[in-house]
Amino acid sequence: MEVQGYEVPEDRLYTKEHEWAKELGATILIGITDYAAKTLNDVVYATLPGAGTKVEHMKSMGTVESIKAVSEVYSPISGTVVKVNRELETHPERVNRSPYVEGWLVEVNASNLQAEKKSLMDAAAYVEYLKGVLSKR
Amino acid sequence: MPKTTQLYDYHLKHARLTEFAGYEMPLWYSTTTHEHMAVRGSSGIFDVSHMARFYVAGEESTGFLEGLVPTWVRSQPASKAFYTLLLNEKGGIIDDLIIEKLADDRYLVVVNAANAETDMLHMRSHAPSGFEIEDRTRTTAMIAVQGPGALSSLQPMTDLDLGQLKRFRCSETKVAGEDALISRTGYTGEDGFEVIVYNASTEHPQGALKVWEGLANTSAPCGLGARDSLRLEAGFPLHGSDIDQSTNPFEADLGWVVSAGKGGYVGSEALADPKAKEPHQVRRGLVLESGIPRHGFEIRDDAGTLGRVTSGTFSPILRKGIALGMVSTEHSGFGGRVSVVVRGTPEQSMLTRPPFYDEKLYGWKRQKDN
Repeated sequence: MEVQGYEVPEDRLYTKEHEWAKELGATILIGITDYAAKTLNDVVYATLPGAGTKVEHMKSMGTVESIKAVSEVYSPISGTVVKVNRELETHPERVNRSPYVEGWLVEVNASNLQAEKKSLMDAAAYVEYLKGVLSKR
Repeated sequence: MPKTTQLYDYHLKHARLTEFAGYEMPLWYSTTTHEHMAVRGSSGIFDVSHMARFYVAGEESTGFLEGLVPTWVRSQPASKAFYTLLLNEKGGIIDDLIIEKLADDRYLVVVNAANAETDMLHMRSHAPSGFEIEDRTRTTAMIAVQGPGALSSLQPMTDLDLGQLKRFRCSETKVAGEDALISRTGYTGEDGFEVIVYNASTEHPQGALKVWEGLANTSAPCGLGARDSLRLEAGFPLHGSDIDQSTNPFEADLGWVVSAGKGGYVGSEALADPKAKEPHQVRRGLVLESGIPRHGFEIRDDAGTLGRVTSGTFSPILRKGIALGMVSTEHSGFGGRVSVVVRGTPEQSMLTRPPFYDEKLYGWKRQKDN
């Protein structure tokens, strides 16, 4: 799916803060959406929680930064981080080039997935939400 | 309604826009990193028409400026462009600016857009009766061409031999057939020029657009994002962030602007006080091991707070966070190790003398290949 040039893949769930969560069997992969990446335009730095850190549903777990701006990253789900995308240390631009594949941020072992999934949006709902955000810009 | 410059039509088509100092300005055309590296590697162009330009002339003009700035004016040769400050009675910095001395009795004063009104009021309040200060901001445009390739980018558009125009010199000439003033000045640390296109208003912007579009063939259009990262990497202060009316020139590490033995200007009495030259805090550069410093972040050591970050960014050249900040004078030695607290985490930092890049490789002093 797509809205005004911003990609919204159908295979994952979304938050109002423009993060995505994709189920990978036992774990959840997390990143920021194409809209968030394009708004930052030029990611140069990411501060992310290390493996073993506990993250909480809709609480900030780190930041993604451009030269000018800092953007908080909120975890879509609660759980424990099992992997961080270390490639971003040397190639932060991957968040812009490939926000849904190579630009993933962290992989998490979810602790309360079924309940928390209900408060996330599917692609269609995020598209509608994004249309509203764009109309106010 | 925000104001727009003579080049707005171009920006509207090609740039992500942002509001700055009451103007709708380009933030970036591609990415800030790309534009920043284009300036350091070849050349970039910036619309700086939003900066205010004031013209004074006549036999009283030198004396008038002499009474406003701490730098000697009358001893500057004609065709000099020099950096100086407007001070208040306490010696605090109202603005930093460039004065272009076109002749012994003609000057163009270029000031920050955000301070245009304040500066004009200040200047008018210290002007002899009947003395005219002509605001040429809306009747001229200003374009900066910056980078090691700036000369090759601009030369085809003017008959003025740019190789003969030394740094901090200016000359009235034509660019793309338009009357213009070229100065070898800039805000990036690189070689470059600032072109003031005369007779270009927002109603009749064609002359300015001709110059801009001509330059865009060989220079990358750059927005305010890159303008800020470049000037910070070069160590240049931004009024409103790093310096303001509560900062005197010595705190700002701009003591070189204060001509020794000069009196009789606004703020000279305050600066004559020996305490003014021994400030409690002083401006310094900082490089972080990790993390990106931002305005307001605390600078500290184990014993306590040492100061605050006044501007911070990520240096695409160093690939590290860099900052300008105010640090307590006692702890301000270059090479000193301090921490900058980035959202709760103290990050190791070093106090540095800018520019932050290696001057053998970047900047106007770089060693050229032969």
